[in-house]
Amino acid sequence: MSVIRAAIDEMFSVVGQMVGSVFRHGLPLTDKIAARTALTNFVLHIHPVRVRRSWIRMSYTLCLGGLSFFLFIVLTVTGLYLMFYYVPSTQHAYQDMRDLQFVVTFGGLIRNMHRWAAHAMVITVWLHMARVFLTGAYKKPREFNWGVGTLLLLLTLLLSFTGYLLPWDQLSIWAVTVGTNMAKYAPIAGPYTRYLLIGGRVVGDNALLRFYVLHVVGLPLAAFLLMVVHFWRVRKDGFSGGL
Amino acid sequence: MATEARDRIAARERVEARRRQVEAPSTVRDDSDDEMIVSFPEFVFKEFIATVAMTVFLIIVSIWLQAPLLGKANPGMTPNPSKAPWYFLGLQELLSRFPPLMAGVAFPTFVIVLMILVPFLDRNPSRRPSERKVAIILFALYTTVVVALVIIGTFFRGHEFVWDWGWVLGNPQTCGGKPC
Ligand code: HEM
Repeated sequence: MSVIRAAIDEMFSVVGQMVGSVFRHGLPLTDKIAARTALTNFVLHIHPVRVRRSWIRMSYTLCLGGLSFFLFIVLTVTGLYLMFYYVPSTQHAYQDMRDLQFVVTFGGLIRNMHRWAAHAMVITVWLHMARVFLTGAYKKPREFNWGVGTLLLLLTLLLSFTGYLLPWDQLSIWAVTVGTNMAKYAPIAGPYTRYLLIGGRVVGDNALLRFYVLHVVGLPLAAFLLMVVHFWRVRKDGFSGGL
Repeated sequence: MATEARDRIAARERVEARRRQVEAPSTVRDDSDDEMIVSFPEFVFKEFIATVAMTVFLIIVSIWLQAPLLGKANPGMTPNPSKAPWYFLGLQELLSRFPPLMAGVAFPTFVIVLMILVPFLDRNPSRRPSERKVAIILFALYTTVVVALVIIGTFFRGHEFVWDWGWVLGNPQTCGGKPC
C-alpha cells in the first residue's frame, strides 16, 4: 500500500514540477509576484513592468495600436492557412479560391476573416494615426516613431493592395490594372516602375507571382521589422500617456 | 528579482523624471502623482479582452458577409467603371480631376513627405487640444477631404467614372444592373 501511495505522491510532484517549469511564479496574488511574472515572461516583456494608472486608460489609446498589431497576427495565421491551398498562377489561382470557398474545411470562413481583417487593419491603423495626431503624441521625443508609423501605414496599404490581385477574379485584375496605371505617370521612371512592378505590360502571370511574393514574404517581413522598431521606441521614448 | 527589479524601477524613475522635464508643462494633466501599478495582470487583462472582442467580431462578420469573388479574370473584358480598392479611390478620384502627373505622383509623394515632417513643422510644444486649434482644424479638414473623396469614388462614380446619382436615388444602373 505504502508503495502505491509513494508512487502517487511522486506523480503529483512531477506534474507540479512540470506546471511550475511553465508558470514559474504562481498566481499574481501580490504585486511582488505579478512584477516578477511580468519581468521574466517572454510574452509579457513588451510591456513595462510598472505603469502609471493614467497611461493604461483605454480612453487614451483606444487600444488602436495594439489592435492593429493583433490584426497583423490574425492576418498572418489565416494567411498561412490560405497558402496551403493557393497556387499563384493564372492557371490555378481562381479555381483554388473557389475550392477554398466551397470545398476546403473552414476555407470560406478563413478567407472571409483574412479579407475583413485586412480592411479592418487599414481602418485601425488610420485611426491609431489620428489618435496619435490629436493627442500630440508625435512631439519631441517621439518624432522618429511617427516617421516609422508613417511607413507602417504605407506598408499596410501596400499589403492590402498586393493581396487584392491574388484571387485572380475580375475585381482583382482590373483594380490592380487601375492601381498600377497610376505608377505610369511618374516622369521618366514611371513606365519602368510599372514594368518592374507587374513584370510586363499587362497584368498577367508575372504580375501575379510578383504580387504574391511581395504579399506573403517581402512586405510582411518589412512590416514586422518596422513594428519591432516601433514598439522598441514606444518603450524607450516613454509612452506619452496622461492627456 | 531584488536588485535587478530595483535597478529597473530606479531607471524607470529617471526616465520618468526626464520625461516630466521635457513635457510636463505641455500636457494637460501632470500625471507624476498617479499611482504606479504593475502592468500584469490588470493591463494585460484589458488587452486580452480587446483581442477577444476583435476575434469574435471578425468571426461574426465573416460568417455573415461573404468576401467578393467575381468571375475569373478576363484580360479581354474591362468592366466599366474599373475601380481601385476603396482606400485608393481617393487617389483615383483625384486622377479623374487633375492632370495625372499631379494627381498620381506629385500629390501622394507630397502628402507622404509632409506627414513624415509633421513633428518638425509643428513648432507648438503644447499637447493640450485647447492650445492646438490650428493643428486640429487642419487635421480635421484633411480627414474630411480624404473621407469625402473615398465616399464619392465608392458611391457616386458610375459608367466611365462619371458622376452618377443612381446609388442614392435607388436606381443604380451603373454596372450592368448591379451596384458597383
Ligand atoms: C501597422 C501599423 C501600426 C502598429 C501595429 C502600431 C502599434 C503601436 C502601438 C501598440 C503603440 C502603443 C500605444 C497605442 O496602442 O496607441 C503605438 C504607439 C505609437 N504609434 Fe503606432 N502603430 C502603427 C502605425 C502607426 C502610424 C501610422 C503612426 C503615425 C503616423 C504611428 C505612430 C505612433 C506613435 C507616435 C506612437 C507613440 C504614441 C504615444 O506615446 O502616445 N503608429 N503604435
